Amino acid sequence: MTPVRIGVPSAEEFLEPVQIVVEKVGSIAGVEQDDLTSLSIAVLELVKNGMEHGNDMDPDKEITICLEVLPGSLRVQVGDQGSWTPAGDVGFKPGEGDQLYSDRGRGILIARNLARWVDFDLSPEGKTLATLIWPIP
Amino acid sequence: MKIQEQVKDGVTIVRLTGKLISGPELMELKTAFQNLVNQDRHKKVVLDLGGVTWMDSSGLGVIVSGHTTLRRAEGMMKILNATKKIHELFIITKLITVFETFASESEAIASFKEPEKA
Repeated sequence: MTPVRIGVPSAEEFLEPVQIVVEKVGSIAGVEQDDLTSLSIAVLELVKNGMEHGNDMDPDKEITICLEVLPGSLRVQVGDQGSWTPAGDVGFKPGEGDQLYSDRGRGILIARNLARWVDFDLSPEGKTLATLIWPIP
Repeated sequence: MKIQEQVKDGVTIVRLTGKLISGPELMELKTAFQNLVNQDRHKKVVLDLGGVTWMDSSGLGVIVSGHTTLRRAEGMMKILNATKKIHELFIITKLITVFETFASESEAIASFKEPEKA
């Protein structure tokens, strides 16, 4: 299947359309029905991070989402216009103490726990590219 | 997302339905928790998530924020009817250690009458 590519402005009102597209493509790709919500949650966490940390919520800056079916998995790549990567240990363990009561900072933790694999890198152009791998049975 | 409030036995039940997705609607929920405190209404709150079809870290953030707001006003929030998927988010983020969760509305309401555990 040809990869599905979409681009949206960095604005919250575009999150729901992305969620709908991700679940639809996931369904077509063979992601289990029960996992579609988890898939879209994980992808939207990456999209929100890109909007906020890479694009400063500037609606003139685009977030790109590319969904590609590979043998045994669905690969989702989320690109923004910034050049940032989270600290290496972000998203591998939940907050402790006062951090537990923070009203933010759980996105990468959730994405990393729901998906088989999530990583951040820079594209050849030097822009942040988050990659998520979701298993397909 | 739709927010409905109902008072039963001195406990405010806040029922949510739909998607808890980032945007103005989540701010409405934050305001609803704040209003419970500002208007000195019932500060014992049961948050019914049974009708929530989708929620991510932003939704969790608003729930935690509401919990903090209520605690500062000597109130308390408990969670009702979290679906399997939402329960999983509470476990991943360790928020399961912060909130009491219930599958029965009557048990959630009754829990406010139990004496504080030492």
